[in-house]
Amino acid sequence: MKDFVADAGTIVGSFTEHETRLLRELAGEVIELLDEQLPEDRLLASVGIGGSDGPSSDPAIARLLPNAYLDDDHASQEFRYLTEHSLVTRKVANAQVLQRSLDEGGEIALETDAVQAWLRSLADIRLIIASRLGIEHDGDEGNADTDDELMLGQVYDWLGHVQGSLVDALDG
Amino acid sequence: MADTMEHTRLDEQLLLDTPWVTIVWNDPVNLMTYVSYVFRSYFGFSREKADDLMMQVHGNGRAVVATGGREEMERHVEAMHDFGLWATVQKDGS
Repeated sequence: MKDFVADAGTIVGSFTEHETRLLRELAGEVIELLDEQLPEDRLLASVGIGGSDGPSSDPAIARLLPNAYLDDDHASQEFRYLTEHSLVTRKVANAQVLQRSLDEGGEIALETDAVQAWLRSLADIRLIIASRLGIEHDGDEGNADTDDELMLGQVYDWLGHVQGSLVDALDG
Repeated sequence: MADTMEHTRLDEQLLLDTPWVTIVWNDPVNLMTYVSYVFRSYFGFSREKADDLMMQVHGNGRAVVATGGREEMERHVEAMHDFGLWATVQKDGS
């Protein structure tokens, strides 16, 4: 990966073939995971109303779609009903933008809207991985007992670098 | 009687006027630069204010990032969840 830079109103970046495939796969997994949160009836989902009764039993989903009130379950549930499906729909759309940006390979130039989708989707992907690795508090290194976990930990760090680079390019 | 009613009305008014707050909570995942960027781009805060709030989140575990009506605070919380930040609404002082 070459770090992102601002260039003529876009943000330009470059990923290797391996990195491109990895990003597309991760975005695909987010889409799959979040799709399960939407009702079968897509028309209902598109209206954006409806939600689950409480935080998901999957800690990753629970982190992406947390309660809006700390100690008011009723208000949290009402908030979910009004916002959850549209929030999930937007998160899926963000991941799809990330995927599509890489359709033609790793040399990309992101317009303003795409940059916003990338920032949010990278955050979502990192939150899901962190949850899988048991990263819960500042300073947690995360599980690293198996090769898979070690690899996932490296991917997590790398995604942090990608997102950080995007923020730097926007700030620059 | 009249007095009591008057008091009730005043209490209700007071309750309605009690501001709500949007709180952003610390998490070990989101980058400090990203959190500061979110505060600047979404709330329109200066870099100094955004960095200060970000450090509050990081150091104190939480920061109040907005105060106002309940619906407005819920909109902010939804926007924060959009960004992947952990945020909640509550009545000010509770």
